[in-house]
Amino acid sequence: MTKTIERIAPFAFGLAALGFWQGLVWALGVPSYVLPGPIAIIQAYLDDHAVLDSALLSTLSVTVAALLGATIIGVALAVAMAASRLFRAAIQPWAVILQVTPVVAIAPFIIIWVNQPFLALVVCAVIVAFFPILSSTAAGLAATPPELQDLFRLNGATRWQTLILLSLPSALPSFLTGLRVSGTLALVGAVVAEFVAGSGGFASGLAYRIIEASYRLEIPRMFAALVLLGLSGIVIYTALGWLEAVLLHRRDGA
Amino acid sequence: MTPPGIVIAGLGLRFAGESLFEDLNLTLPAGEFSVLLGPSGVGKTSLLRIIAGLEAPSAGQVCADDGAPLAGRVAYMAQQDLLLPWAEARENVMLGAALRGETRDRARAEALLHSVGLSHRLRALPATLSGGERQRVALARTLYENRPVVLMDEPFSALDAISRARIQDLAAELLGGRTVLLITHDPLEACRLGHHLWVLAGSPAALGPPLTVPGTPPRAPDDDAMLHRQGELLRRLTGLRPA
Repeated sequence: MTKTIERIAPFAFGLAALGFWQGLVWALGVPSYVLPGPIAIIQAYLDDHAVLDSALLSTLSVTVAALLGATIIGVALAVAMAASRLFRAAIQPWAVILQVTPVVAIAPFIIIWVNQPFLALVVCAVIVAFFPILSSTAAGLAATPPELQDLFRLNGATRWQTLILLSLPSALPSFLTGLRVSGTLALVGAVVAEFVAGSGGFASGLAYRIIEASYRLEIPRMFAALVLLGLSGIVIYTALGWLEAVLLHRRDGA
Repeated sequence: MTPPGIVIAGLGLRFAGESLFEDLNLTLPAGEFSVLLGPSGVGKTSLLRIIAGLEAPSAGQVCADDGAPLAGRVAYMAQQDLLLPWAEARENVMLGAALRGETRDRARAEALLHSVGLSHRLRALPATLSGGERQRVALARTLYENRPVVLMDEPFSALDAISRARIQDLAAELLGGRTVLLITHDPLEACRLGHHLWVLAGSPAALGPPLTVPGTPPRAPDDDAMLHRQGELLRRLTGLRPA
């Protein structure tokens, strides 16, 4: 019973808040170029959904490509760092430097250097997204139970066997936690890159549509694009959470 | 497969500048159950790891009394079951063979799981097994290795008294004829299973005179001679005065 209520609670709260917002807009007669109500926002989306949908698709493809890239790079670097202390010492500070440098500052360079627009956006989003996967996978690999490593040593396991059969599976939960964080960061990275690239004249993603709408003072359309971004974030986060649950259940059976 | 005895000669181990033990000499008789007791932190596990070849001593050596090297003839069973959480019971039993690239004998793995009473859980993942069942899978794996020397580090200490008594019987029956060294904190376990008991104590640690228990293991839990030995052992371990 309380579980059902808890499940309904976010929707009930959201609806109540939207109702309050719409009521306020009506009651005070706020013009839609200052603050549009939810109904105006939905209307704006319906009026322009072909453009907004293709913008959503564009942003999502950058996000997914970036998440794949971040996963490959993050896991590969984490494995290399676990295998060699020298490599770890050499790489770690640079990974941190890349992480703490705001992508807004790097993006203009990447957009100059990488000619292909889609690829340029993906590179920016990868830079934002790879670090959580790298650090959590590295931590997971480092936390491989030493007793199990002894067992593998005692049976003459090769380093490759130890990596594939022991270290990687035991790092799976940490990797998935990192992946979940990186998933939403990839979206953030894609949006930031689009903002920077938008002024350069190529890009058709949601962020670009937000800028465009703001220049034209189409505030309800701005909101509509923003809502699509927020929903995408929720969907990505939930989907990765579901993936985590399924994979861990398949691994451990409980 | 005639099991070798194990000769430990002049063994010393220093750890962070402190001497854990010095000039330790001990012979584990071939084909018999030896038990090592002693307070926590005295270096029992280190000694076992040295015999297993997982750690190098600072001085002295460990060898088999038949002159052949020990490496490859030792099976190791730890306090934790050390099962891979993502592998089925049967796969866990055959893990060693898989790692060494040998052909895996599924029928034998199943027969061993059957002999530890788990024929109905062949394909169960460790998380779905109870603590006692997991430890029995670990025992089946140790047996699958079929090594003449078996080292066990408090393998049953995490189990409840009843599961423990049952698995002790199993271990005594299935490991009979091998050279076994068992570390335990439990005087009852030591007296039920051991032919020879040693107490490692002090700093640096030294071995007390060996104790022998009459009768063949596994001894009945209400065997008078066994219970008497158990009391004596507890007295030695605690330093309490005799009755």
